[in-house]
Amino acid sequence: MKNRVRTLRLQQNLAQGQLAEAMGVSRQTINSIENERYTPSLPLAMALARFFGVPVEEMFDDQGT
Amino acid sequence: MIKERSQALARSKWFLPSFSLALGVVILAVSWLGGSPGEGWISLGFLAAFGLFILLAGRSETIRGLRGDGRDERFAQIDLRATAVSGLVLIVTLIVAWLVEIAQGHSGNPYGWLLATGGAAYALAVAFFRWRG
Repeated sequence: MKNRVRTLRLQQNLAQGQLAEAMGVSRQTINSIENERYTPSLPLAMALARFFGVPVEEMFDDQGT
Repeated sequence: MIKERSQALARSKWFLPSFSLALGVVILAVSWLGGSPGEGWISLGFLAAFGLFILLAGRSETIRGLRGDGRDERFAQIDLRATAVSGLVLIVTLIVAWLVEIAQGHSGNPYGWLLATGGAAYALAVAFFRWRG
């Protein structure tokens, strides 16, 4: 699923590993989400949106899958 | 509470090595009962070595996921898919073995019983998960 995770992460100067640690997942999972190979669960998607302070629908684009 | 504890246990890096060692001990015990402790010791040695390898292996995602300490929701999904694929391979193998046995004029067992068990387990699991929602 298309998303803005990489953009938002880079805006905050965070490494994938740092975001992964904050979310309680592996760095590879963050990498897979950013590369649209893995669609996160609803709890993880909400946690990411909460972390970056944006609505979930602004972070993930289900129309562009 | 129980679910949380079991998840925490499965996410420990000691889970798979401990399981391997315990399985080796069980195999040794039943081999001993069957009168061939030598095979049991070989199995225990193999499984203990495997457990040690997994415990001391590097930090690759595959190793950490198999070991338990690298599991997250994505790896849980990978694990589920891998389990489904291995189950499918097993079922196909059993069907082929069952058909070959029947074609050779045998009863088809134990493959027939194993297939029946697998089919029943699948149907019960579907019913259970549908009921649980």
